[in-house]
Amino acid sequence: MDASLLTIQPASAEPIYRQIVEQLRRLIAGGQLPPGELLPSVREVAGFHAVNPMTVSRAYSLAESEGLLERLRGKGMAVATTRRTSQTQTQRMALLEAPLAALARQARELELPAEPVLQRLSKLMGH
Amino acid sequence: MNVTAHAVAAATAAPLEARGLTHRYDSKVVLDHVDLALQPGSVLGLIGRNGAGKSTLIRAMLGLLEPQSGDAFVFGEPALKLSDPVKERLGYVPQQPDALAWLTAAQMFDYLSRFYPRWDHRFVKDTLQRWKIEPDKVMAKLSPGERQRVDLVRALAPQPELLVLDEPASALDPVARRELLREIALRAGEAGATVLFSTHIVSDLERVASDIAFLHEGRLLLHCPVDETKERYARLWLPANVAAAAPTSSLGKRRHEDGSLSVIVECDANGAWPDASRLPGARIDTLGLEDLFVEIAE
Repeated sequence: MDASLLTIQPASAEPIYRQIVEQLRRLIAGGQLPPGELLPSVREVAGFHAVNPMTVSRAYSLAESEGLLERLRGKGMAVATTRRTSQTQTQRMALLEAPLAALARQARELELPAEPVLQRLSKLMGH
Repeated sequence: MNVTAHAVAAATAAPLEARGLTHRYDSKVVLDHVDLALQPGSVLGLIGRNGAGKSTLIRAMLGLLEPQSGDAFVFGEPALKLSDPVKERLGYVPQQPDALAWLTAAQMFDYLSRFYPRWDHRFVKDTLQRWKIEPDKVMAKLSPGERQRVDLVRALAPQPELLVLDEPASALDPVARRELLREIALRAGEAGATVLFSTHIVSDLERVASDIAFLHEGRLLLHCPVDETKERYARLWLPANVAAAAPTSSLGKRRHEDGSLSVIVECDANGAWPDASRLPGARIDTLGLEDLFVEIAE
């Protein structure tokens, strides 16, 4: 993978390390980054985008703890080859906590009751 | 204090620290009890409007100006009495460099390189070339942008452990600015250098800074990690009918013409916003640093 595949928007309200993790998640889910693909080093990403290397390290560590990436000895980071099935439902739910909180907030701002929102969500999920 | 104890104190001391710095010009307070310490390896972006006291703070922290009260320390030494070994570890670029202007850049670098054991000749040569600066031109004849670039090269060449830049990007074009930021980021990340830079260009700071400090009318309003700042503060908007329930905020509050209210709020340890955000019609907007800065500084 090339460092230029990432887009960084420094002015966004979303911290840069989260922007990186989100993009990795999308690129991996979308198949642009196949399992085993090596990631650019922290230095390459930091240098290309002129961002603090600690921010990139933080993003990689977070992606690793979420099971998106794995650390290969002597080679750096790569896209995880084994989909981690060991993640419990609670752990996977935790990943949805932020978007759910945002959804709840918006629903409240629009003064919508929970029932129709839940029905719609249920339908969107194919139930 | 014996030599060992002194060495230990110097090794553990913050690279740069201000304690209660206070300064006035005539009757105007420019620094009002500023406390600020930089952690080793951090990149602190000092942000504030023109006239907020950024340059005064930097000069006082480096001992270039004697404050009316308070103390400053560089690697644990009082800033007003820095020893030569500590000065060698420090690189500083003032907002308007004018020293040694009668020399050419090549002459200045040749002269200065003798004082610094870690002087990076290759970096100087490569960077001057890349930035298209004629090394044999008298510096007084360089444009302000070129002059600033020469001074940045001068500050970076000795590979300082502490780098202090006062509005380093003000005279640089976008390409040179990006390159400077890259240099700052990699030096901090790899060589472990500590960096303080002041700016009013917030997006520069957002790229490379690990920490941010807001200076407003001589007071330090906020000092925390950049990521945390973005995650911890937001703007709460309350419609007129519930505006009275607004939480108190030390950071900024604005009443709009229709009676509605915007206030900067902070989330608690669990990431929850204040109760008022759950009032009917209330809205929380997360903010980039620039918006936060504008809200606070208005």
